[in-house]
Amino acid sequence: MTLLRVKDLHTHFISRNLDNEIRIATALNGVSFELSRGEVLGLVGETGAGKSLTAYSIMNLLKPPARVVGGTVEFDGRNLRDLQSDDMNSLRGSEIAMVVQNPRSSLDPLTRIGEQLVRVHTAHSDATAATARARAVEILGSVGIPAPEERMQAWPHELSGGMAQRVLIAMALMNEPKLIIADEPTTGLDVTVQAQILDLLRELVETRNVAVMIITHDLGIVAHYCQRMAVMFAGRIVETGNVNSVFDNPAHPYTRTLIDATPERLRDLKHKVHGGGAPPNLYNLPTGCHYVERCRFADDVCNDPVAMEEVGAAHFAMCSHISAVRDGWLS
Amino acid sequence: MTEPLLRAKMLTKHFVTPRTAQTVKAVNGVSFDMFAGKTVGMVGESGSGKSTVGRMVVRLLKPTQGSVAFRGQDISLLPDRAVRRLRVDLQMVFQDPWSALNPRMRVKRIIQEPLLLHSKLSSSERSDRAEEIARSVHLNTDLLTRFPGELSGGQLQRVCIARAIATNPALIVLDEPTSSLDLSVRAGILDLLQELRENTGAAMLFISHDLGTVRLVSDHILVLYLGHIIESGPMNKVFDEPAHPYTQTLLSAHLPADPHADLHRHLLDGEIPSPIDMPPGCPFSTRCPLVREDCRTALPPMVDIDDGAQRAACIRIPEGTNQVNC
Amino acid sequence: MAEFFTVTQSLTNSMFRKVFSKVIGISRRSPTSVIGFVIIFIFGFLALLAPLLMPYDPVSSDPNKILNGPSLEHWFGTDGNGMDVFSRVIYGSRYGFGIAIPTVIVSLFLGVPLGLYAGYKGGNIDEAIMRVVDAFRVFPSIILALAVVAATGPSLLNVVLVIGVLDAPIFVRVVRAEVLALRSSSFIESGIIVGNPTWRILFVHLLPNAIQGATAQTAVRAAWAVRISATLAFLGIGIQPPTPEWGAMIRQGAEFMINGQWWVGIFPGVALIFMVLGFNMFGDGLQDLLDPKRRSGAK
Repeated sequence: MTLLRVKDLHTHFISRNLDNEIRIATALNGVSFELSRGEVLGLVGETGAGKSLTAYSIMNLLKPPARVVGGTVEFDGRNLRDLQSDDMNSLRGSEIAMVVQNPRSSLDPLTRIGEQLVRVHTAHSDATAATARARAVEILGSVGIPAPEERMQAWPHELSGGMAQRVLIAMALMNEPKLIIADEPTTGLDVTVQAQILDLLRELVETRNVAVMIITHDLGIVAHYCQRMAVMFAGRIVETGNVNSVFDNPAHPYTRTLIDATPERLRDLKHKVHGGGAPPNLYNLPTGCHYVERCRFADDVCNDPVAMEEVGAAHFAMCSHISAVRDGWLS
Repeated sequence: MTEPLLRAKMLTKHFVTPRTAQTVKAVNGVSFDMFAGKTVGMVGESGSGKSTVGRMVVRLLKPTQGSVAFRGQDISLLPDRAVRRLRVDLQMVFQDPWSALNPRMRVKRIIQEPLLLHSKLSSSERSDRAEEIARSVHLNTDLLTRFPGELSGGQLQRVCIARAIATNPALIVLDEPTSSLDLSVRAGILDLLQELRENTGAAMLFISHDLGTVRLVSDHILVLYLGHIIESGPMNKVFDEPAHPYTQTLLSAHLPADPHADLHRHLLDGEIPSPIDMPPGCPFSTRCPLVREDCRTALPPMVDIDDGAQRAACIRIPEGTNQVNC
Repeated sequence: MAEFFTVTQSLTNSMFRKVFSKVIGISRRSPTSVIGFVIIFIFGFLALLAPLLMPYDPVSSDPNKILNGPSLEHWFGTDGNGMDVFSRVIYGSRYGFGIAIPTVIVSLFLGVPLGLYAGYKGGNIDEAIMRVVDAFRVFPSIILALAVVAATGPSLLNVVLVIGVLDAPIFVRVVRAEVLALRSSSFIESGIIVGNPTWRILFVHLLPNAIQGATAQTAVRAAWAVRISATLAFLGIGIQPPTPEWGAMIRQGAEFMINGQWWVGIFPGVALIFMVLGFNMFGDGLQDLLDPKRRSGAK
């Protein structure tokens, strides 16, 4: 059952420069994807591709000058873009939870973590403080925090990075959310701790049937923890499909470059990695394919609008030269 | 056997925190050699002291104890003025290219600065040389007149590398040079480093927490944990037959970007202890799945494995019971 | 030929439009700075063209015209020495700038290097410099200024030096704070690693990146300098009458105020208020525009 359906989402940054002219950065240009319960989707792409912006647009957490200017976000049968801000507030933290990068800065430094967990629960339900407290202890234990009863009294600064991330995940779980959006949940954590956090997220999907969207730039995480992946470039999803299918038969030249650039592939590769280069100018994007300036296969056709094409079972890519790229990649 | 270019001996660095006056034992007796044309990869989690070691090697920091002998001369005690002259040969590339360059200087001046300080070249000779260096790091020479704020992360890191190689140094420390860059940009920088390794003959110390990257560029590996080297050896040996239980778990936690790769994971509980409050005995004893009573009493010495090219600090190695099983 | 004219015309037109839209942009973000700038600009105009604008010599006295009220002949009246108040107020703007600008320069020359050095070195050196700076700041500066000027003698040079030294701590603090913020970025380490000596680190690498806060402060400090030098003159230890300095003129005017001869003191007072206001408004605007921490709103 589809839980989240994002359709043709457009987000722009609208501002004035020093010369008093209006400038529009088209940061999201028609993002569409679906996510079902019990599924883990990996959203990958380079800095500035719009990964986090997609999450913030879904959650309706944008601050000016960023604004959603088009598209629909359907969550559990409701269009989130039609909701009043009160309704959206009650949805956030209860049905949709977010786990962000920099866990420590997301915790209130002046409140003990137990109190913060209790507040999240009582804000969204009729639970008494006592039942909320009992639930907080139970959930802290279930996210692998030793001695949860004692940890309820801890201050955020007393937690290590990994512990703080666990507390944040515990906070996300307090209200049994249906969807967890994890924005770079393990960036800045050590590899041994990263494995613990990701295992925890996977366990939640299996035991509680939540849907998880992991935003990351680490293809290793996507390869081992996600079922489906979506590759973003300049505010669009340029390729999406099952993880195995995308890794085995990447169709979009950008996806190929990304996968070629992983250390594992670099070791086996005989040829140099094509690609790199600066991200396109969001104030003045190419008319057709956004990747045209960095693509070896680009020709005039690429300046025409491009659409998603099916390349395999549930595997789509936004490129006009899929077969040419496949045949000519190694030359 | 050839003389090492640089020999670090029992390097130790303790910091005292300003307010609480606690001693942070960042590095505790680290010894290793570096040879011309060879790259040493230093891996470890945050708090393992790897950046501190890198900064002591190029004398950005003075060691609390121990020595760094560069071409046989102990540089850890030299006065600042003498160290400045050595900068011709000792260079470093930093982690975050966005903050590593003076934002108010044009790229050309940034690349020329080492030449201005260390050579007697005229300004037009310096300018020619800067263009030459820019080309050698595959930086478009049109960018030389720009300010750092106008360049992308990959271009900035190329500028940093250009600046570091401007005086043809004998040794370069690279502190996580690719970890803040996007994947496709990272590959280009790694290519460049590979090229420089072949062309310049400089010794490199490559510091990273990313095992995949270290594996790609290193000849020799050092594994750091809480300021101790717990394993060292040739790259293939350490990656294929890790001896120390920590190295084994670290390698197993790495996620290769290939959904078909088998993961033989043995997970660790907990996190790296604080370097203020070091455990007695083996530094890894608080998390080691193979820990036993005598691990907690004394620091285990480095022991040779096979022919001695690979060494690790675990008391189980002589008994052959050092393998963590899944 | 006609073509050439249209080309140059459209060129100047577009340049004019560009400058104009930039001005509009700045005034949208900080209208006070534009008002302040206009006020300072007018005073600057008066100071530069004073010899042309003054109807009378500001220090020649006419014994027949003592304490005459404002008239067509003497717009602002005459003072107790029979000198033309209008001419003296105009000429006084020269003293305003003559004190404000050199004072701020003295403060910058002292404060900026100290701030750079303290912030960069840290530790005991920083501690020592900052304790001295704090001592300066907690002591009421007007009393210190009074004492020092009284001891060294009331010349313009002394007033400038004393006020300049007294105000240097502000710049030490501002620059040091910026240096502390910059210390965490690795371009300083990168400067050390290529072999820069300390002076180059301070003045080539740190200074251009740490000067914005101090630049933003200059106009506000100029206002302070004008005010305090007027205060010193008013108290009789600064610049002495009959020099046409506003503070000294206000002091003189205060004696006649009770007799109803208000024009002697009020006109220089108003001029002083406007100049201080102008510097302050301009300075506030400068801080908004230059100081990234105060910069708000759209990118």
